[in-house]
Amino acid sequence: MAQEKTLLAMCRHAPYGHTIAREGLEAVLACAAMDQVPEVLFINDGVLQLLEQNPKTIGEKNLRRNLQALPMFGVETLHVCRRSLEERGISLDNIDVPGAALALVDNPGPYIAGFDQVLSF
Amino acid sequence: MQFTLVVYGAPHASEGANTALRFARAVLASGHGIYRVFFYGDGVHNGSALVAPPQDEQDLLSQWQDLKIAHNLDLTLCIAAAQRRGVLNDSEASRLEKPSGNMADGFELAGLGQLAEAAAVSDRIVTFGS
Repeated sequence: MAQEKTLLAMCRHAPYGHTIAREGLEAVLACAAMDQVPEVLFINDGVLQLLEQNPKTIGEKNLRRNLQALPMFGVETLHVCRRSLEERGISLDNIDVPGAALALVDNPGPYIAGFDQVLSF
Repeated sequence: MQFTLVVYGAPHASEGANTALRFARAVLASGHGIYRVFFYGDGVHNGSALVAPPQDEQDLLSQWQDLKIAHNLDLTLCIAAAQRRGVLNDSEASRLEKPSGNMADGFELAGLGQLAEAAAVSDRIVTFGS
């Protein structure tokens, strides 16, 4: 299916508090696999998904695997809300997703409004 | 205008499920169309035939089913989310060796590709819950 509409997926939740973080990334990968490649914005607690994690200690699968699959599915730039990082004391030095470039978004409002469709996770 | 609704809210737990239903009615009453209602995350519980609210509370399931019959709505449960949460049709229950299926009439199980396709062809996606 040709991609005629621009699509944004917003990841807004911390990685393990609720399955929506995992199910959001799964949906992003599914869209990309269907040639509807979204841009992805990590915002609010969603920026915590970008940090190194050791979820074995709580018996959960590591969400990083889904994250690291994004570039392979054509999502090569991960957009990150600057204010969400600052509010949580996270610097870009703390974030490393192999194969993906990071782009800081200063004004999420106009950025989000620029898309035809928004999926919110 | 064609809408797709994405529902994350479980019935009788999140107001999102109820709001989605009322929004769907409003969309249809305004002469717009609904391409698909995609139930994801905890929203898949909306498709459980076993939900049994007290008599003095509204029954969301029968309202979705009535709306489906009246407007030929596409009510799709994400199969991966539904399996995680124990909402299965009879064939999935049998395949996964579970004691019974519990998916309500009027709903279908399908993959996330149905969300991607809905995003491609709808004019608006509106999310409810979480």
